[in-house]
Amino acid sequence: MRDKSFSLKLYCWLLRLYPAGFRETYAGPLERAFRDELAESTGPWALASLWIRLLADLAISVPAQVSREVSQDVGHALRLWTCRPWHTGFAIAALAVGIGANTGVFSVVNALLLRSLPFHEPSRLAALSPQEFIPPHDSAKQFHDWHEQSTYLTDAALVEENDVNLGGVRDAVRAHVSLTSWNFFSMLGTQPVLGRMFMPEEDIAGRNEIAIIGYGLWQQLFAGDRQALGSTIRVDGKPLTIIGVAPPGFDYPSSTVLWKPAAFSPGNNGWATVARLKPGMEWPRARAAFDAEVERLSSKQGTTDYANPRPRMRSLQDALAGPVKNASLMLMGAVVLVLLIACTNVANLLMARTAERAAELSIRSALGASRARLVQQLITECLVLSFVGTLAGLLVGYWMTTIAARVSPPPLAAQSYSILDGPVLVFAVIVSILSGLLFGVLPSLYVGRIHAFGTRSSSRTGASRLIREALASTQVMLTILLLAASVSVGSAFVHLMGRDRGYDVKGVVTASVSLDGTRYQADERRLPYFQEVLARVRSLPGVRSASATEFLPLYATGFVGGPFGLDGLPAKRNSTMVPVLSEYFQTMGGRIRNGREFTNAEVRSGAKVAVVNERFAAGFGAPEEVVGRQLTIGSEPPWKIVGVVKGMEYETDPTLVNGNQIFIPSGAPGSFFSTFVARVDGPAEDHLAKIRDAIRSVDPQVPVFGVKTMEQRLAEVFARPRFYRTAIWMFAGFALLLAVIGIYGIVSYTVVQRTQEMGVRMALGTTPVHLRGMLLRQGLLMVGVGAIPGIAGAQLTGRLLESLMDGASSIGLATSAGLAVFLALVASTSIWAATRHIARLDIMAILRAE
Amino acid sequence: MTNDFSSMSPAFFHILLSLGAGERHGYAIKREVAARTEGKLKLGPGVLYGSINKMLELGLIEEAEDRPDPHLDDERRRYYRITSFGRKAAQAEAARMRELVQLAAATFGAPKHA
Repeated sequence: MRDKSFSLKLYCWLLRLYPAGFRETYAGPLERAFRDELAESTGPWALASLWIRLLADLAISVPAQVSREVSQDVGHALRLWTCRPWHTGFAIAALAVGIGANTGVFSVVNALLLRSLPFHEPSRLAALSPQEFIPPHDSAKQFHDWHEQSTYLTDAALVEENDVNLGGVRDAVRAHVSLTSWNFFSMLGTQPVLGRMFMPEEDIAGRNEIAIIGYGLWQQLFAGDRQALGSTIRVDGKPLTIIGVAPPGFDYPSSTVLWKPAAFSPGNNGWATVARLKPGMEWPRARAAFDAEVERLSSKQGTTDYANPRPRMRSLQDALAGPVKNASLMLMGAVVLVLLIACTNVANLLMARTAERAAELSIRSALGASRARLVQQLITECLVLSFVGTLAGLLVGYWMTTIAARVSPPPLAAQSYSILDGPVLVFAVIVSILSGLLFGVLPSLYVGRIHAFGTRSSSRTGASRLIREALASTQVMLTILLLAASVSVGSAFVHLMGRDRGYDVKGVVTASVSLDGTRYQADERRLPYFQEVLARVRSLPGVRSASATEFLPLYATGFVGGPFGLDGLPAKRNSTMVPVLSEYFQTMGGRIRNGREFTNAEVRSGAKVAVVNERFAAGFGAPEEVVGRQLTIGSEPPWKIVGVVKGMEYETDPTLVNGNQIFIPSGAPGSFFSTFVARVDGPAEDHLAKIRDAIRSVDPQVPVFGVKTMEQRLAEVFARPRFYRTAIWMFAGFALLLAVIGIYGIVSYTVVQRTQEMGVRMALGTTPVHLRGMLLRQGLLMVGVGAIPGIAGAQLTGRLLESLMDGASSIGLATSAGLAVFLALVASTSIWAATRHIARLDIMAILRAE
Repeated sequence: MTNDFSSMSPAFFHILLSLGAGERHGYAIKREVAARTEGKLKLGPGVLYGSINKMLELGLIEEAEDRPDPHLDDERRRYYRITSFGRKAAQAEAARMRELVQLAAATFGAPKHA
C-alpha cells in the first residue's frame, strides 16, 4: 500500500513535465487514470510493468505536448510582433548589441586568458620581462648554470626578437626573427614537425649558424618540400643552415618566422626570459624565491637599476595578455552594463505592451487560461526574442572580433579571437538565456497580478507604472556609470595624445632602412650612404630639413645605454643612448635648452661630442652648467657635452618614467631601427612617395620600409587606447540612446493613459504648457532617483578604472553631477517631445467620450 | 482529413470507434481499445489525453458533461462524445481502408484463411 501511495506521488510529480496548458486540463484525468491502473495492478511485477509502460508513455507524450504548446506560443509571439514591428525591431536591436558586445569581448578574454597556451604544461611557464629582470648571461655557460642551479625553475630560456632582411640581397624581405638559447624549444615542449631542435652548446658563437623556420615560411619558400632541411637561408646576408621546421601555428614570440641560436655576450639587454617552474612548485613560493634572487643579484651587480619598475615573475599567459588583459576586463564590465541597460529597456517595452494587453490578458484569464499558462507564453516570447537577439548578436560579436584582431592582434597565432569557439558559444547561450529571463521576469510577475485581480484596476496600472519608472531610473543610473567611465577613459586618451613628447609630430616624414646584408654593411660604408641619401632628400622641394636616427621616438625596443656620468661622477640611473645625425633636433622639432646640436662636420668626423637631456643634466645642475663638461662611461674616452635638450619621449607607456637620455653622433648607422626623418612643408602625407623614391634612388637594393608620417606612427602606436576610447564611447552613447528611448516611451504612454484626465484639467482652465510642465517634473523625478546612486556609483567605477587602465583617473563629483545634469537635459527634450500632443488635444471630443 | 491518402492515426480511429457506440470517459476508452485489439494497442494516459486534446481541437469529438461512472466509483469523470464531423471523418477513414484492402486483394489475392 505504501508503494502505491508513493507511486501516485511520484506520478503526480512527473506530471509537472507537461506544459502548463495541457497540465491544467488533463492533470486530473491523468492522475485518475493512473489511480485506476494502480488499483488493477497487484503485486510487484504488475507495478513494475505499469511503471515501464507509464514512463514510455511520458517519454512519447511529454515532448509532443511541449513542442505543441511551444509552437503555439511562438506563433502567438510572432503574430504580436508583426503588429508592432518597430517595438520588436528595437527590442531585437538592443539585445543584439548587448549580447553581441558581450560575446565579442568575451571571445577576446577567452582567447587571451582562458584558452590555454599551445605549449606543454603551459600553467608552469613563467615570463620575466626584459625591462625588469635579466638573469646572468655573459656566456652561454653562465646562463645555463644559472637555471640549472635554480631552486624554483626546472628550465629557462632566453630569447631576443629582431627584424632582419631575410633571403638573398636582391629580393630581401623584412622578417621578424628570434635569437634564442639552445633550449628554447625543449623548454616549451614544442617538437619541430620536420628536422630537429637546437642541441646543447649550439648557442655558442661559431656553432650557431643554423635556423629553425616557421611552418608558414617553409610553405612559402620551399612549398613544404622536405629538401628544405640542410638548405641555406640568408639572414641579414649571413647564411644559416635550416635544421628544422616549427609546427603549424607556432609563432612565439610575436609572429616569429625564424629562430636562430643566439651567441651570448656581456652587456646585451634585449633578452626576455621564459622559464618553467619545477614540478610541484606553487606560484607564491616561486615568486618569493624569485624576489629573493632579484635582491641578491641586484646587490651583486650594482649597476642595474631595479628600482622602477620592480621585477616581477608572471605566468606566461598573463605576460602575453599584458595590457590587453585589463582593458578587456574593463570593456567586459562596460558591455555587461550595456546588456543590463538593454535588458531593462526590453523589460520596459514588454511591461508597456503587457499593460496595453491587460484587457486581452484578463479576458483570457477569465476564459480559464491560468497564470502558469500566460507566464509560460510570456517566457516563451522572451526566449524567442532573446534567441533572435542572440543570432543577430553573434553577427555583432563577429564584427567586433574582426575589429579587435585588427586593433590589438593576439600575441600568438593560436590565440586568434573567434566566436565560433566552444566556451564563447556557451557563454553567448548563457547570456542570452539569462537576459531573456531577466527581462521576462517583470512582465511575468505582472501577468500574475492580472490573474490575481482578474479585472483592470487603477491600483494595478499604478503598480505597473511604478515598476516601469523604477526600470527607467535603473537605466539612468547605469547610463551615468557608463558615461562616467567614458569620460574617464576619454580624458585619459586626450591626456595621452596631448602629452608633451619633446618633439613635434606634425609635418614629419619617416622611412626606415636596414643596411645589414647589403653592400653598405661594412662600418665605413654606412655613414657615406646616409650622407648621400640625406643630400638627395634635403634637395627635394618642400623639405625643410632632414636627418636620421638609430632609434625613433615611440619605439623603445632594443635600446642600448649604460651607466653614463658627468666628469667621472656616475648618474643616479642608467641612461639610454641614441645615435643621431646632424639636424636631428631641428627636424624633429626638439627643444634645445642650452648650447646647440651636432654640426654636419662633427658627424662626418665622428667627433666625441654629445647632447644630453634635461633629466640627465638635472642630476648635476642647471643646463648651462652642464654644457662644455665631459660625459663619461667607465674607462671609455669621454664626450664633450655641446647641448642640453628637452629630451624626447621614447616610451609609449605613460607609466614608465622618461629616463636619462644621451644623444651622440652616429658613426655607423643602418642597423636595428635606423630611420630617416624629414620636416616638410604642408601635409606630410603628400611627401611620402617622393622621399621614399629619393632614398631608393641611391641604391634600389637597400630595403626601405615603414614609410609613414610621424602622425601615422603615433596613431598606430596608440591604436589600442584609441580603440578602447571609441568602444567605450560607443557603448555609452548607445546606453544614452536606450535610456532616452526608455523615458520617452514611459512618458508618451502616460500621456495616452491620462488623456481623459488631461482633457478635464484643460477644461477646468489648466494650460497645455502647464500640463507638460507637470509631466516634465514627474519625468525628471525619475531621472533624479536614478542619478543619485548613479553619481555615487560613478565614483566607485572611477576607482576601478584607475586600477585597470593606465592614465585613467576617477572623475570628480562635479563631473558626474554634470553628467547627471546633461542626462536630465537630454531626458527633458525627450519628455517635451513625448508630450507635444497635449497642445493639440481636442477638449470637447475628450469630454464627449467621457 | 477525408478523401486523401493520408491516414488517420490508429489512436484517433480507435478512440472514434469507441465513442461511436456512445459517450465514454477517458479510462473507459482506454479499456475498450485494449479489449478490442486484444491488448495490442494499449494507450498510455499521456498519449490518450494528448490525442483527446488534439481531437477536441480538430472538432472530431466534444466534451459531454462530467458525471460519475456507475461501474467504477462515485468520482465524477469527464465524458466525451463523437461529433458529426468526427463521424464523417471515421467513415471516410473506413472507406479509405476498404479501398486499400480491395486494392491489396486485387493485387495479391485474398488471404487464404479469410
